[in-house]
Amino acid sequence: MKRLFAVALGVLTAIGGFLDIGDLVTNAVVGSRFGWSLAWVVVVGVVGICLFAQMAGRVAAVSGRATFELVRERMGPRLGLANLAASFLINLLTLTAEVGGIALALQLASSVHYLLWVPVAALAVWQVIWRVGFDVMENVTGLVGLLLVGFAVAFFLLGPDWTQLTDQLLQRAPHGESPATYWFYAVALFGAALTPYEVFFFSSGAVEEGWSSEDLAQSRLNVLVGFPLGGLLSLAIAGCAALTLMPLGVEVTTLSQVVLPVAEAGGRVLLIAIILGVVAATFGAALETTLSTGYTLAQFFGWSWGKFRAPAEAARFHITMIVCLLVGVAVLATGVDPVMVTEISVVFSAVALPLTYLPILIVANDPDYLGDQVNPRLLNIAGQVYFVLILVASVAAIPLMIVTGVGR
Amino acid sequence: MTSHDALSHPPVHIVGQLVDARLSLLDRQVVDVDGRPVGVLDDLELTDVASPLEPGTPPPEVTSLVHGPIVLERIFGGRRPDAHLLRIGWDAVAKLGPAIELAAPASELPTSWVESWLRDRVIVRIPGGRHVPR
Repeated sequence: MKRLFAVALGVLTAIGGFLDIGDLVTNAVVGSRFGWSLAWVVVVGVVGICLFAQMAGRVAAVSGRATFELVRERMGPRLGLANLAASFLINLLTLTAEVGGIALALQLASSVHYLLWVPVAALAVWQVIWRVGFDVMENVTGLVGLLLVGFAVAFFLLGPDWTQLTDQLLQRAPHGESPATYWFYAVALFGAALTPYEVFFFSSGAVEEGWSSEDLAQSRLNVLVGFPLGGLLSLAIAGCAALTLMPLGVEVTTLSQVVLPVAEAGGRVLLIAIILGVVAATFGAALETTLSTGYTLAQFFGWSWGKFRAPAEAARFHITMIVCLLVGVAVLATGVDPVMVTEISVVFSAVALPLTYLPILIVANDPDYLGDQVNPRLLNIAGQVYFVLILVASVAAIPLMIVTGVGR
Repeated sequence: MTSHDALSHPPVHIVGQLVDARLSLLDRQVVDVDGRPVGVLDDLELTDVASPLEPGTPPPEVTSLVHGPIVLERIFGGRRPDAHLLRIGWDAVAKLGPAIELAAPASELPTSWVESWLRDRVIVRIPGGRHVPR
């Protein structure tokens, strides 16, 4: 019974933890402009994050080494530092977007301007990191984040026009956008599904929770069931926008437009549930990105780290996180639109992805680290195919961003 | 090129395992007896070798692991004063693997000045700084 409960909890938190501000915004934007024409990217992205998280989790559980320890070992200090700088800055951008996301969701709930919520959100994130244990943090944000299932409820309440959605899915419906814009959003959606912090957090979390080889089956199940179900919620978000906003010619530019279809379909109760879900999802992701700033630096430089230690036992780790949260608050205080920060952060996530994917792929094949737990042949082929995909998306991202003027 | 004979070494009898220091030691995590990160290995110190080298001189031995802020010199060049380096005696090493495991607890090893300063001056002054998050 206890075992079953642990399995259910793991899967549920993986679903709730899958979506963050990047997924919410990008899926709604894409849904309102392309319908389900880009739904295939969500599928490709979910398979990718399953592969990546599974490899990183296995490496961490078997060898006890988290992502940036391996980056330093495999790439050496010079290339490793360049990698660290890029990954760290992009993670900081994501952190800023998530804190902005919490504040925007609280604005929707309270009508108090989001800039007033920003310091409150950052303080709450820091207090949870400072005082709350890893398991409680993961489970609470994951379970409350499950309220985002409301998007799926809204989708069915809206009475989806399946022939139209299938036409979009099979690329038979014109969307009236240029090919460059189409591919720009394909890369953005890919970056939203495969954000690097998810892997820093997943592999470091495996060390935090003291996983061993015996815990691998459980982690595999969480990933392989939880993430695809989270991916279905992404499709529901895009579907809601496609059914209500696309016919009106409304392009999503704010968080209130993301949740508008839910209010239309399910009324006030469903809207309240969704806003709570958005707060939990962005709060969870803000915790994960903040922890990731500490994880990446501490692992590269060999500092003591981890939430399972008292802050006094990991001073530089905690100082890093406090400083990064303050930087995020300072950036948001300039009045920059958090939705725009989000859109840019998902594109740069796609740019940075190969930097951490490649070292993990290499170590996942190294018997010195993994013994007989190295990648099986089929997984390895899939892993290498994805490396090519990730590389192409990474190289194409910035030119597409410039050509399309960030998708405008 | 000199002839091959002039460069050949007297046969060395290896007992135990051969470890490529560059591949398997450099840039690996160093953890204490409880698995707590201590640092990342930046360099090894060897015993002095006589110069000029006489035939039959015994090979140098590893005396200590070096870590700490010198990673910046490894990347950007320059040389840090000797006193700034953090050293751990080779005899403290318990096991080599995905990490270099030590037999001693971190409290008995030299600690980074920045870490202890931040701990004593900042972290423990914030309420809850000494408590493990639960």
